[in-house]
Amino acid sequence: MSRTDAQPAALYHRLVVWLLFLILLLPLAGTLLYSLSTSWSATVLPDGLTFKWYLALWSDSRFLAAFARSLLICCAALLLAVVLILPLLFVVHYYFPKLDRLMNILILLPFAVPPVVSSVGLLQVYGSGPLAMVGTPWILIGCYFTVALPFMYRAITNNLQAINLPDLMDAAHLLGASTWQAAYLVVLPNLRKGLMVSLFLSFSFLFGEFVFANLLVGTRYETLQVYLNNMRNSSGHFNSALVISYFFFVLLFTWAANRLNKDKS
Amino acid sequence: MSFLSIRGLHKNYAATPIFADINCEIAQGEFVTLLGPSGCGKSTLLRCIAGLTEVSGGQIILNGQDLVPLSPQQRDIGMVFQSYALFPNMTVAQNVAFGLRMQKTAKDETARRVDDALAMVELGAFAGRYPHQLSGGQCQRVALARSLITRPRLLLLDEPLSALDARIRKHLREQIRSIQRELGLTTIFVTHDQEEALVMSDRIFLMNAGKIVQSGAAETLYTAPVDAFAAGFIGNYNLLDADNASRLLQRPINSRVAIRPESIQLGQTGAIEAQIRSHSLLGNVIRYRVEARGVELLIDVLNRSAADLYTNGQQLSLTIAADAIREVA
Repeated sequence: MSRTDAQPAALYHRLVVWLLFLILLLPLAGTLLYSLSTSWSATVLPDGLTFKWYLALWSDSRFLAAFARSLLICCAALLLAVVLILPLLFVVHYYFPKLDRLMNILILLPFAVPPVVSSVGLLQVYGSGPLAMVGTPWILIGCYFTVALPFMYRAITNNLQAINLPDLMDAAHLLGASTWQAAYLVVLPNLRKGLMVSLFLSFSFLFGEFVFANLLVGTRYETLQVYLNNMRNSSGHFNSALVISYFFFVLLFTWAANRLNKDKS
Repeated sequence: MSFLSIRGLHKNYAATPIFADINCEIAQGEFVTLLGPSGCGKSTLLRCIAGLTEVSGGQIILNGQDLVPLSPQQRDIGMVFQSYALFPNMTVAQNVAFGLRMQKTAKDETARRVDDALAMVELGAFAGRYPHQLSGGQCQRVALARSLITRPRLLLLDEPLSALDARIRKHLREQIRSIQRELGLTTIFVTHDQEEALVMSDRIFLMNAGKIVQSGAAETLYTAPVDAFAAGFIGNYNLLDADNASRLLQRPINSRVAIRPESIQLGQTGAIEAQIRSHSLLGNVIRYRVEARGVELLIDVLNRSAADLYTNGQQLSLTIAADAIREVA
């Protein structure tokens, strides 16, 4: 196909992409504008622009506390995930490759059971008795771990399959490395990419998690999304500022993840 | 006293024997090849020598020391893998230096030895590259340099050329052989490619179904196969059963017979009537498929000129020298 033939088609393709992009962007842009407007009700465009909603939000101690709690719970859950999943993956793929099939079924469970359903079960199990954790951040950390597990397991497994793990371990062993040294110096650096991508992905996802947070803990340990829900009756401008702040935070995170990835290769 | 001596080695996987009662003696500086079809146990044997796979019994004695109780780290053995097994996160120089890093060798000495090793495989200019930026042949040369840098007592090569294309394979096998000679390094090479084995080895161990079928110099294996498997695996022997052999040679024969295709003379003055069925050009050799006395034979003739080419269906005769007829079990 020659260049001239390609041009109308290319133009059409570009148009479709831009249109789609605009459609996706429109609600966000609307929210952004709303969060910056003094008031906007009966007119096409807002009456005036202001930062006062953002100032109000970022000086609200309840918001800051919720933000910090979300951050803390996400980081704790992901730390737990890294500490447990990395050795698990290594053991499964190096010593017991047959277990990979079992793991693939196991990691589907958090997807198979909707959060609303599993919350009910979790409330039953952890509501009382020796493991009474409902209402504390601990249950969220554990729960978020199971939510992050599939993402992390899959992403890192793909990474592991791209390298020839048994041969790399054999080569390292023959060159005098212990299994720990081989895992640390040879295997781990090759999993960095998958690990980072899955960490940031899981983080963005967990940071916005609402169902578990609301049902299991609610206002007793108010996280960002629960806070947003509790503020639903306050000013829409204020809530818009909250949504936009949240969005930019996640965007920043995703952008940082991308940068980190590119630097590596 | 040989340098490496394998005595009564056997390996079972669950209840299935992979190989049993392997015995062999290898001299210092020798280049030996384990040759055999896939699944014959040759790679497992190599991994047992390296310590990567546990043996079920027997001894592997290297320079007077039994290796069996030692871990791979303690064996002081270098190994090159078919998959290269280069560390993707490290540069060529870091890959090559890995063995010295594990030994905590001083930085300046490491640098010097890495330079030497890379120069030996002619990759000095590639020190800063990553494995994914190299071709397959270059990767395998890096792997070779990496395995040699710790000056191992024994070098194991596990089908190192099998993933490479033909031209690079030929070049690399010469390079491996010349480096091996230069360092006087005892080397065990595993391959399923008979040509590679014949070209490279001082001695070949031909393996089948977990046993060493025949061992000896390349010439011996090629000209004097001990059984039908050996004859079938090396060269392109015509293998005839007793009936066909008796009919073709018109004397009673009670065993199978192997005749090399290049040892049969095709012409007008032979004693056995023959007709050309088909032919194929292999380059310097033309391979004829010929029928004589109801027996189909392959005959290789040197491709001297186009004028000498026999046509399909042509009636000819052939001569088989008595010493070219090998009775095999």
